[in-house]
Amino acid sequence: MKLLTHNMLSSKCLKNVNVGYPLSIKVEEMITSVVDFNPEFIARIIPKLEWNALKQAVNEVGKDSCLPNNLIENFENDEDFLKKVHHVLLEIEIVNGCLVCPETGRSFPINNGIPNMLLNEDEV
Amino acid sequence: MKILIICNAGLVNGLSEEVLVDSLKEYGELSNILLPPGKSYCFVSFTTVENSKSCCDSCNGLLNIAQDNKPIYLCFIETLPNVVDEIVWDTLPPGLIILENFINDDEEKLLLELPNFRSLESGNMKNRQVKHYGFEFKYNINNVDKNDPLPDEIPNACDFLWPRLPDKFGNFIPDQCTVNQYLPGQGIPSHVDTHSAFEDPIMSLSLGSSVVMDFKNGNKHYCILLPGKSLLIMSGESRYLWTHGITPRKFDIVKKDDRCNLSVRGLRISYTFRRLRHGECMCDFINKCDSWSQKTEQFSLDDNEIALKLEEIHVHQVYENIADHFSDTRHKPWPNIVEFIESLEDGSILVDVGCGNGKYLGLNKSIFNVGCDRSSGLINVCKDRGFQCFTSDCLSITLRDGSADACICIAVIHHLANSERRLNAIKEIVRILRPGGRALIYVWAKDQFSNNEKSNYIKEDKRLDQVADADLTEVVPSVDGVQLPIHINRTQFKHKDLLVPWKLKRCSENKGTFLRYYHVYEKHELENDCGNIPSVKITSSYYDQGNWCVIIEKIKK
Repeated sequence: MKLLTHNMLSSKCLKNVNVGYPLSIKVEEMITSVVDFNPEFIARIIPKLEWNALKQAVNEVGKDSCLPNNLIENFENDEDFLKKVHHVLLEIEIVNGCLVCPETGRSFPINNGIPNMLLNEDEV
Repeated sequence: MKILIICNAGLVNGLSEEVLVDSLKEYGELSNILLPPGKSYCFVSFTTVENSKSCCDSCNGLLNIAQDNKPIYLCFIETLPNVVDEIVWDTLPPGLIILENFINDDEEKLLLELPNFRSLESGNMKNRQVKHYGFEFKYNINNVDKNDPLPDEIPNACDFLWPRLPDKFGNFIPDQCTVNQYLPGQGIPSHVDTHSAFEDPIMSLSLGSSVVMDFKNGNKHYCILLPGKSLLIMSGESRYLWTHGITPRKFDIVKKDDRCNLSVRGLRISYTFRRLRHGECMCDFINKCDSWSQKTEQFSLDDNEIALKLEEIHVHQVYENIADHFSDTRHKPWPNIVEFIESLEDGSILVDVGCGNGKYLGLNKSIFNVGCDRSSGLINVCKDRGFQCFTSDCLSITLRDGSADACICIAVIHHLANSERRLNAIKEIVRILRPGGRALIYVWAKDQFSNNEKSNYIKEDKRLDQVADADLTEVVPSVDGVQLPIHINRTQFKHKDLLVPWKLKRCSENKGTFLRYYHVYEKHELENDCGNIPSVKITSSYYDQGNWCVIIEKIKK
């Protein structure tokens, strides 16, 4: 699971959960790999992100230093900034661990990079 | 050893049972004959070894009944080969009764003369002459017009029959009768009498020559001798599930008490008595039941618990079992779906809901692709192919509102077992779309011949086909009392809610066959569902290879 995918995931579908976002990450195994950098692509993705959720995720996976605290203006033209966002969104992968609902504490396991978000019938 | 093989003559090069039995009977009583279809050999055995030996000595190289009047060559063998469609004698299908000598000679004579087949009133069928009483049976629709009785009711001369019926059928009063006249060489194709047309039972009185009637159900084939003056009663399974027919030929091979004999056919007349059904057939044999499609609505798929259980058994478990094989057969992306994906703006986020093996993920390198599916087997395939994916149900997609620029949902929603769930799946897609975002949805169409073209599903070459027909007649699975018809692969759909067999490659046994639940869509059904969601605009709808398809847009507030 890349952090861009994590930025979209939510446990809102759980019964009695209002927002269910962001899910906190508990890492057991993490890898980083090299992904081709496409500055235009990243510049287009950034406005779709929940920046605070990304900040929290980066913090939880121990990569705090990789990302500036605030979304800067004119990020489209700041290649250094785009590269940093590129790295955290696409190059960090959680292989094993879990995601935790902020409201209920329900834990969703991540195995082999795949979050298992299936809910039991009595949870929805 | 009593079994002889005739090495150079069989059905495929012109030998008939008739010639065989006729030529060999002088050597003694035959106990068995077997002419495998499509073979140039056959088997015979006599009741004693001596007879078999005498036949072999006298005929080998000498009896000229092989092709072009050449001699046959015989030798002894120990056992007969296994034959799949072995004909069974002396066994009746469940619910079948034969009452021999149901009438006497005088009564037979009376009934033989009753219908005048020389008059113009009688119909001339391809294989036989027919005359109807009460109501005309219309062969083009395999039914009767219940509002259009004939002037001739069933002749009163038949009234003496009914008091003789077994107690169980004491209430049987027919209102329709078809009289068939068969000359030697004539027959009737195998059929099941239309369920909605007639009640149970159906009775047929044989007059004149005896004949062998074939009863078939799946690969079961029972041969039953109908002697003259006998009454055949078909009820229950034998009336609703088994086909019956008469092979057009001039003789029958009759096997009784381990003896095979040739029986030459003469003129035969049958009276078939039936009672019209008013209302729908309520039988349990739904694969042969024309009333079934109207009935499915009555069943309680609307009950969510039943729908869930059905999906669990006939969708989720099936996909886990067939995941690898399913994935091997899903390679080629469909052009219209590729076009939608290619049309997305660079930097878009695309969610594939029910992504399967991920065949639509990663086609467009300028967007972010993420897939979800509830089959962990298929999601593992996606992950191995390097795609972003997670396990999730299409009714509870664990993504935040408005997180997707676009969604595709291909061949997924038709696996949901009631209309509320199918509508909720579309609502869930709309929820995760951002305002202005678009979704492409494909579902299987009931009509596989739209635009007068056969869909690929129908015309796909059988030899390349990974999906083989399962045995369709044996078991009709049931989930909490909901029974669904099993579809015959590569044919037009007859029902809206049904089970489609998936047969695993290289798995000949039945345990390799899985039944997937589908709801197949009528024209406009998908659009109507989408139209019921307030924030949705349908931007396009079309028919593509046997699927109904829509592109919807989430309206900006």
